[in-house]
Amino acid sequence: MKQHNIQFWLNGEKVSLQVEPSDVLLDVLRGKLGIKSPKAGCDRGDCGTCTVLMNGKTIRSCLALAVEADGAEIVTLEGANSRKWTQRLQKTFHEKNAFQCGFCAPGVILSATELLENNSRPTTHDIKEAIAGNLCRCTGYEPIVEAIEETVKGK
Amino acid sequence: MDLQKLITKPKKGAKSIRAGEELTVVGQSVPRIDGWEKIKGAAKYTDDLEFGPGLLYAALVESPFAHARIKSIDISKAEKLHGVVKVVTGGNFTQKFGLYMNDRYVFATDTVRFVGEQVAAVVATDPKIALRGAGLVKVEYEELPAVMDAVKALEKDSPLVHPDLKSYTHVPWFFPKPGTNIAHWRKIRKGDLAKGFRDADLVMEDTYSVPRYAHCAIEPHSAIGLYDASGRLTMWTSSQSPFTQRHVFAETLKSFGLSHKDVRVISTYIGGGFGGKAGVTMEIIAAALALTVPGRPVKLLWSRAQEFYNTYQRLGCTAKIKMGVSKAGKITALDFKLHWDAGAYVEYGANVVNAAGLSASGPYKVDNLSIDSMCTYTNLPPCGAYRGFGYSEFLFGLESHITRMARELGLDPVEFRMKNAIKEGDTLPYGAHMNPTGIRDAIERVRKEIRWGVKEKSKDPKKAIGKAQVCFWKSPAMPPNASSSAFLKFNEDGSINILVSGMEIGQGLLTVMAQIASEVLSVPVSKIRVETPDTDRNPYEWQTVGSHVTWGCGNAVKRAALEARERILDLVQRVHCLDKSALYLEDQHVKCRTKPDFALRFSDFVINGIQAEDHTFKGGPIMGSGVFMPEFASAISDPETGQGGHPNVHYTTGSAGIILEVDRETGKMKIKKVALAVDCGKAINPDLVRGQIVGGLLQGFATVLYEDMRYNEKGRLLNPNFSDYKIPTVMDMPDQVVPIIIEVAQPDGPFGARGVGEHTMIPCAPLIANAVEDAVGVRIKSMPVTKEKVALAVKAAKK
Amino acid sequence: MPITTEFEYIKPKDMDEALHVFSVYKEKARVLAGGTDLVVHLKENLARPEVVVDIKALPELAGFTLRDGTLRLGALVTFSDLIASPLIKSKFPLLWEASLTVASVGVRNRATVAGNICSAVPSADSAPVLAVYEAEVLTRSLKGERRIPIADWFTGPKKTALLPEEIVTSIELKLPEKKHAGCYMKLSRYEGEDLAQGGIAVLAFADNTYRLATCALGPKPARCPGTEAVLSGARLGEKLLSKAKETILGEVSPISDIRSSKEYRLHMTQIMLGRALGSAVARLFGKGAKYGTENIC
Repeated sequence: MKQHNIQFWLNGEKVSLQVEPSDVLLDVLRGKLGIKSPKAGCDRGDCGTCTVLMNGKTIRSCLALAVEADGAEIVTLEGANSRKWTQRLQKTFHEKNAFQCGFCAPGVILSATELLENNSRPTTHDIKEAIAGNLCRCTGYEPIVEAIEETVKGK
Repeated sequence: MDLQKLITKPKKGAKSIRAGEELTVVGQSVPRIDGWEKIKGAAKYTDDLEFGPGLLYAALVESPFAHARIKSIDISKAEKLHGVVKVVTGGNFTQKFGLYMNDRYVFATDTVRFVGEQVAAVVATDPKIALRGAGLVKVEYEELPAVMDAVKALEKDSPLVHPDLKSYTHVPWFFPKPGTNIAHWRKIRKGDLAKGFRDADLVMEDTYSVPRYAHCAIEPHSAIGLYDASGRLTMWTSSQSPFTQRHVFAETLKSFGLSHKDVRVISTYIGGGFGGKAGVTMEIIAAALALTVPGRPVKLLWSRAQEFYNTYQRLGCTAKIKMGVSKAGKITALDFKLHWDAGAYVEYGANVVNAAGLSASGPYKVDNLSIDSMCTYTNLPPCGAYRGFGYSEFLFGLESHITRMARELGLDPVEFRMKNAIKEGDTLPYGAHMNPTGIRDAIERVRKEIRWGVKEKSKDPKKAIGKAQVCFWKSPAMPPNASSSAFLKFNEDGSINILVSGMEIGQGLLTVMAQIASEVLSVPVSKIRVETPDTDRNPYEWQTVGSHVTWGCGNAVKRAALEARERILDLVQRVHCLDKSALYLEDQHVKCRTKPDFALRFSDFVINGIQAEDHTFKGGPIMGSGVFMPEFASAISDPETGQGGHPNVHYTTGSAGIILEVDRETGKMKIKKVALAVDCGKAINPDLVRGQIVGGLLQGFATVLYEDMRYNEKGRLLNPNFSDYKIPTVMDMPDQVVPIIIEVAQPDGPFGARGVGEHTMIPCAPLIANAVEDAVGVRIKSMPVTKEKVALAVKAAKK
Repeated sequence: MPITTEFEYIKPKDMDEALHVFSVYKEKARVLAGGTDLVVHLKENLARPEVVVDIKALPELAGFTLRDGTLRLGALVTFSDLIASPLIKSKFPLLWEASLTVASVGVRNRATVAGNICSAVPSADSAPVLAVYEAEVLTRSLKGERRIPIADWFTGPKKTALLPEEIVTSIELKLPEKKHAGCYMKLSRYEGEDLAQGGIAVLAFADNTYRLATCALGPKPARCPGTEAVLSGARLGEKLLSKAKETILGEVSPISDIRSSKEYRLHMTQIMLGRALGSAVARLFGKGAKYGTENIC
């Protein structure tokens, strides 16, 4: 198949590489670019572990073709680690032992970052709505929601 | 009582270090030591490891039939595909394997026994090529009659899933019946059942059914194998049990010249286990494939669909209960028959059946008891460990039945439970005696929390509110010689590395181990590093299952810390001529009660020793090792009665209560409040215990309210994805969860601790079923108790 | 999980180029907008196109406008776009409400309304809402434009009136002139994201007339003209409601599948009808639950 040369900004750095049309963005990030925080959990957009920010919005990188990233700005948790809200969230998540196995954490933190960057005074319902697509099998969600609420209060 | 004999060294040690002193680290909710790594997205899981451009990828050829004979396999087209390195079939691997029952092959050889079973594998340079290659392998099958139901599998003319059962090897405490589909039959006979029923004022009989469930750890299974030129097989696996895996790999592949020393298993963080990563499932395939491509790493990564249909599932269960109760509310007799659908291979699942069989009385004193727990082969995917290990399944029936009988007799169901609840020293179903337990305290505190006895009304006239309270217990299900061990090493700056092979599966094991060592050695948790294991470097741990590692691995760590402490004290006594009994550790120093100005910093001597007056150095690196094995346990008992052994090390007990709102029209249920009290002996980290309670409850409620594995008549799983196997989202949290920690010390536990991980999900099913009946008057006897079942039952009841 | 099907990827810069590709490849070409359905189908080998046409660079497909009482939704408008829009929330609250029930944020940020109706699964949440707003689907091919009423759009499960050489360019909704309020009531297995096991959209007008449509209660989303007629003109009361509940059973034909039984769907059709009507009427008078709340059964 025809290879495509694509260029995009990944966590603030410009990357260029060749991809096949059938390459999935998640697989390219993980397999070719060494970005491991987005994970493969369900293969079909149900679980949210593959969440990345594309042009400022969370998307399912398992449901995007890599060629679609051409010209886009992609941010993963590796890159979001320096964002203000991400750092505030991380501090509270740590203090409140909000995660257990940690596999869903990158996706949850990016979803919460997207929320707080757009709405710094979310209601509990807004918080739940924002992370409703991120499945966590360990925590029962309560410590995650509490930590986000705490982050909002302590801002 | 036998546990008393067991007062182990650590207990004595604990006294001598801090007689009369308060615990300073144990009992504190310190933040997880693996917290930052996970929150930064930096924690590595198996599939995150890099193996360079030489990494090969495997894809499988899988059976489309539930039961068929393999007539031929044509791999010629696949072999020709550019990029395919190897095509492997079952003929290369003829050794059967299993944890407790050797009934599996690496690949199906002549017969496939479930839809999705691996028949062949294609190894290629790219995952796409591997999948395309797998599509080119042509397998010819002759379909055979299949059996999908555990009760039908017992009928005389049922197809046999394993006609050669007689030749299979297994642990001595299993009792298969060759010529049938019964893989194991655990019997318990205690007291005089007939008399018990004669003494009863009410006898009630009914059947309760529980379907199969999937663990749904968000991380799918993955494994990478590398067989190198030195004859060593290294496996990177997402596993709860690296040492068990090493053993199974070595045993299964020994015909290739491997021995245990040659096999190394490295386990990273794992993205959830819940029992699903407890044994060996797909990892054996990666191990076998590695042998076929020496020198090149090969990766096998499960898709979510494979995660559903080809790892262990939770066993399905049909439970037939006959119970007798006196007017005064005493259980006089219990006849409990559990029929388990364990699937095509029961190598791990049969032990679930065994564990449930030993404990199906629940946390009650039942003097006249008969339990038949029967493990049945079917042509559905293999079953195995799942958080709760059989207890959720029997508790659904048992705790539903108890509430029904209490109500029928006009007794208060909570008072009924209080009356029958087991006490320390009571005789257990298999004849040994009950450990100390806080179950009564748990019942009392939950009863208060849910305002039991106060009928509540919903503000919405379409809705009704019901309440329920049930009890639970569970013991670790482990072989009697399952053991744990630990190494502890001091570093120059007084910091510590601890090596264990208990797995961090999210529960917080690493943190708890650090807290235990911290408490003994007065070194802060921040100066202690505990990481996930490598079987070459880390000492032995049986498995991280059964809620036993805080107890087992914790005991090993405590012993290792005590040994290091002994070495420190011996050394200081030797060099400074201070009496050891006057020495103690505080704030990373050795101090002396008789000489208040004496304080020797750990960092001054734990590696380089103490300089004596003659300028020589004494001592050397301080380290400790600890081993723990429950030496009182025995699995051997009379096969007809189950009496005589001591198969279970202890039981953790508790109680849970719920306030549930039910919509009479839609059947929709809303958990307004749930309280769960569990006697964990000692909460080493209360926050982590709460984490187990809150998380376990939601996982449990999901199995009652909407999760359900659905198969068609051909044995094909219809919902191998999260679109149709619904696991809870944040929207599905209960309104309020009240965790209650009870602490009645376990005599042989580290600082009195016992396990708590599984217990928090097992009471959920009867809680919902009982509360639904309380609210809207219908009794659902099959799980899941979906809104659909409730609505249609309410509608039918109106007519 | 990789995609094993091989295909070409084209991202046309203008409409003619896009239409040309479809005129050549026809059903062997697939539109890629949000990709939330297409990529799943590619992974699971349910779609094996020769060419995938990414339409996201076509400016005429972007955005939405309300002009002269007509809302034009470009084919690239996502559910998140609608949810974020105060205009949609105030003028087309029913569309806003239904959008909130589609999947979750990370999916809605890419999934388009046009994609939802092109996939045409019986459970499409947007479909009954578009039906009650009497939407029209605008399509284009090299041969020209077509305007297809939503009532004629769905031709069966996963089947639409779209021709192989056509693409959807926009969807148009007429803002009803009369005072109205609505409710999208969805049957779901739980509170989290789920595919509808049944859905009823209601538009209630101040003159006691109604528009009703369903999803997942038959092979395709559809209006319920008989029930609308029963309800028309009189004030909603117990008697009328029970007659409507009887009538609607003749206008749905649910099946039993893994998500729900036919029996429960029929039962819930009546319950949802009652609740959706009740909610819409309450909202008409400024009462009742806020849009986006209490609409999951």
